[in-house]
Amino acid sequence: MTDSVSSSGIDPLSARLRELADYLAAPAAGRLTEEQRALSLGIARRLVADVAAWLDPAIDADGLWRDWLRNGVPGAARLAPICFARAEEHRWREQSAQRTPPPPILADTGEGKSEAAVGAPLSEVDRAYLALQIADRRRFDALGHPALAVADLDGDVFRGLLRDVAAWRLPEVSQYQARAAKLGDAVRVATERHAAQRGIADAGAAYHKILGAGLSEAAGQATARHDWPTLIALAAAALHRRYDDMALALLTAETAALPSLLAPLHLDRTALAPLEASLTMLPSRAVTDDGARDYREMLAPGQGKR
Amino acid sequence: MNERIVHGRIDRSGALVSADAPLLRLQQRAGAGLGKPLALPHLARLVALAQRLHRDISRPLHAADDHSDILALVRIIPDADGASLEISDWRARPVAQPQIPAIADNVVMPHGWTWECDQQLRMVALRAAPDAPPVPADWEGCSLSELFELQPDGDGRFPVLRALARQSRFDGQHVQADAPDGRLAMTLSGDALFDAVGGFTGFRGSAVVAEGDVMVDAVPAAMLVDPAFGSLPLSDPQFGRRIDGALRGPLSRIIATAETISGQFDGPIRADYARYAGDIAHAGRHLLGLVDDLADLQNIERPGFKAAADEIDLGDLARRAVGLLGMKAEEKGIRIDAPRTDDKAPATGEFRRVLQVLLNLLGNAIRYSPDNSLIWIRVNREGDHATVTVADQGQGIDADQQAVVFEKFERLGRTDSGGSGLGLYIARRLARAMDGDLTVDSAPGQGARFTLSLPARDVG
Repeated sequence: MTDSVSSSGIDPLSARLRELADYLAAPAAGRLTEEQRALSLGIARRLVADVAAWLDPAIDADGLWRDWLRNGVPGAARLAPICFARAEEHRWREQSAQRTPPPPILADTGEGKSEAAVGAPLSEVDRAYLALQIADRRRFDALGHPALAVADLDGDVFRGLLRDVAAWRLPEVSQYQARAAKLGDAVRVATERHAAQRGIADAGAAYHKILGAGLSEAAGQATARHDWPTLIALAAAALHRRYDDMALALLTAETAALPSLLAPLHLDRTALAPLEASLTMLPSRAVTDDGARDYREMLAPGQGKR
Repeated sequence: MNERIVHGRIDRSGALVSADAPLLRLQQRAGAGLGKPLALPHLARLVALAQRLHRDISRPLHAADDHSDILALVRIIPDADGASLEISDWRARPVAQPQIPAIADNVVMPHGWTWECDQQLRMVALRAAPDAPPVPADWEGCSLSELFELQPDGDGRFPVLRALARQSRFDGQHVQADAPDGRLAMTLSGDALFDAVGGFTGFRGSAVVAEGDVMVDAVPAAMLVDPAFGSLPLSDPQFGRRIDGALRGPLSRIIATAETISGQFDGPIRADYARYAGDIAHAGRHLLGLVDDLADLQNIERPGFKAAADEIDLGDLARRAVGLLGMKAEEKGIRIDAPRTDDKAPATGEFRRVLQVLLNLLGNAIRYSPDNSLIWIRVNREGDHATVTVADQGQGIDADQQAVVFEKFERLGRTDSGGSGLGLYIARRLARAMDGDLTVDSAPGQGARFTLSLPARDVG
C-alpha cells in the first residue's frame, strides 16, 4: 500500500488551482512538510484499513484505499485533526527519543540481579499505569508505525468513517440482497461494539482518578522522563478533553500558554521546563490560531465518545 | 583502537582552558567552549574526583552529542592549578534511538510478532506482522516468561534474563509460545528502552518463528516408553528428539521460573525462599545436563560413530580446560598445576571431543577434591601414545569402584554430588572412538589419577 501520492503527469487542474488559491491567500504561512504529510497519510490509511476490518474482514482494504487515494478520502475534514495530532505526537516522541542520553553502561552482573526489575506486586496505581501504557501501544501497527486505535476514536468520527466504508462496499454487494442487508447489520453491530470500547482517554482518566493527590508528582515525573503520552493523558483527564484534542492543544500551544494550559496538573516552572524545551526544539511545529480554533469547534462532535 | 591521545587542561575553577580538537568539539556541542566550565557531566565528575583524591585516576569515559556516543579512556592528572586530561581509545558510535519503534519499514518479518514489555517484563504490546500467525489472546499485562516459555542457550543461560540484569539488548533467546493455531518455536530479540533520565523502562523487540519449525511437534505420551534408565531406547534415532521435546521444555521452564524467583525479579521475598528457588534452579540445571548427556550418549552409541582425526596438542588442550574451569577451582581454593606452555604432547583426535573429555576429568577432580588442595595435570609420551593425566588429592577410589567407574550412571561411588553418572562412560567411549583409552589409577585416601591416551603424532 502506498502512503504517498505520486503524480502520474495528468493531475486534475482544479486541484492545482485550489492549492494555488490557498497559497495566494496566505503566502507567508508555513505548509505541511513532506514528513508531516506522509505521517498523516499513513495514519489515515491504517485507520481506514482497521475500520474496514471492523465492518467486514473480507473487505479489500488495499482496493478501498487505492480508490480513495484516486478520488479523495471522504470525510477528509473530519480525519485531518486526528491524523495530524497523531502524526505530530509521533514526531515529538521520536525527537525526544533521539535526544535521550545514552543508557548507563552497567557492569556484567550475569543473570543474578537487576536493580530495575525489583518491585512489589502491582499496586492499583501501577496497574492503572500499565493499562495506560497498553492503551498507548495500541496506537502503533505491528511494524511500529504510528496509528490511531479504533477504540480511541470519537463516536461521530467512527460512525462517519464506518458509513463511508460501507458506502464504498455497497455496490460490490448490492446485487445480493442478503449480503447488502448483512452490511447494514454490520454497521449497527460495529457501532454498538465501538461504544463499549475503552481507549487511551479512559485509561488516562482511570490513572488520573487513582493518582489523587499524587497527580502533580506523576505528571512531573512524566515530564522529566519525556513520557509524553502519560502527560497528555493526565492533562486530558484533568481538563475533560479527548486525548487527541489535548495532544493537539499541547503540541500547538505557544510556550507562554503552557502553564495555564496545564494548570490542573499543578506543575511548577521547573517541572514544565523539559516540556517547553522539547516543544521548542520540534521543527516545523504549527502554533494554534483563531482559525484552527474555529475549525476544531466547527468539527467538535460534542457528545461523541471521549 | 585509536592510539591517539586527546589532551585537555582544566583550570582551578573547573573551566576547560585548552583542548585538542575532538574534546573541544564535544564541549562546543554541549553548548560551552574554551574558558567555560566543563560541560560534559561525566568527565566533570571524574575531574572533581581526581582533585578530591589528589591523585591520578584512569577511568572509562562516556559522553554523547547529537550525533554519536563517545566511549574512551580518560586519565586525569590533578595538580595545584587544575588538572590535565589525557583521553585515549576514543571511539564514537551512532546514537541508539531506543524509543523509536525498532522495526523499520524495510524489515521483513514473514512469521514475526513485535512486542514490548515494561521493566518488570510485563507485556504492554504484542502484534502480529502481516502473514504472521495470530498472537495469543489475553497477553495484556502478563509476564514475558509466562507468554514465552524460555529455553536456555548452549551454556544453559537465558539471554533475556542476562539482558535484564545488564539492561542491554539481547537476541537469540529461544522460546516456545502457545499461539491460537498451535505451539510455536520462536526466537526473541529485543532492545533495552530508557527514558530521558536514563531509567530503564523495558524491552521492545520481535519474536520470529524459527525457520522450518513453524509448529512444534507435540510429543504423544505413548512415545515415552519406559522412563527407567536401563531400558532407554538408545538405538532409536528419534530418542534425542523425544528427550528434547519431553524434558528440555519443562526443565527450562522450571529453571527460568526458579531463577526469576531466586533473582527476586518480581519483588523482594524472604531470603530462605530465594535460596530454595536457587536450589531448584541448580537441580534443574543438573537435570538439563543429564538430558544433554543422554543425547550425547545416544549420538556416540549410534552404529558407525566416528570422531574426527584432528592434529592436536594435549598440552594445549589441557591448558584450555584449565582456563575454562579455573574459576570453579578458585571458588574452592584449589590450585591447578597445569602443563607449562612448552609442555607439548602432539596427538591425533577430535579437538572438540578431547576438550570435552578433559573438561569432564578436570570437573570431576575439582568436584571431589577437598578445599585448598592441589590438582596436577601432566602430559607425556608412552610409546606410540600421547597421554594426559589429571590427578587430585580427593578421597580416592577403591579397587571395586575402579572396576565400575566407567559404567553408565556410576558417580565415582558417591551420590551426594552433581553429575549425571554418564560423564566418564561417555569420556571413555570417546577416547576409544579416537583409538585411545581412558584409565584410572587410585587408592583410597590417595586421590585419583585419570589418564587419557591418544595416538601420538610425530612432529617433523
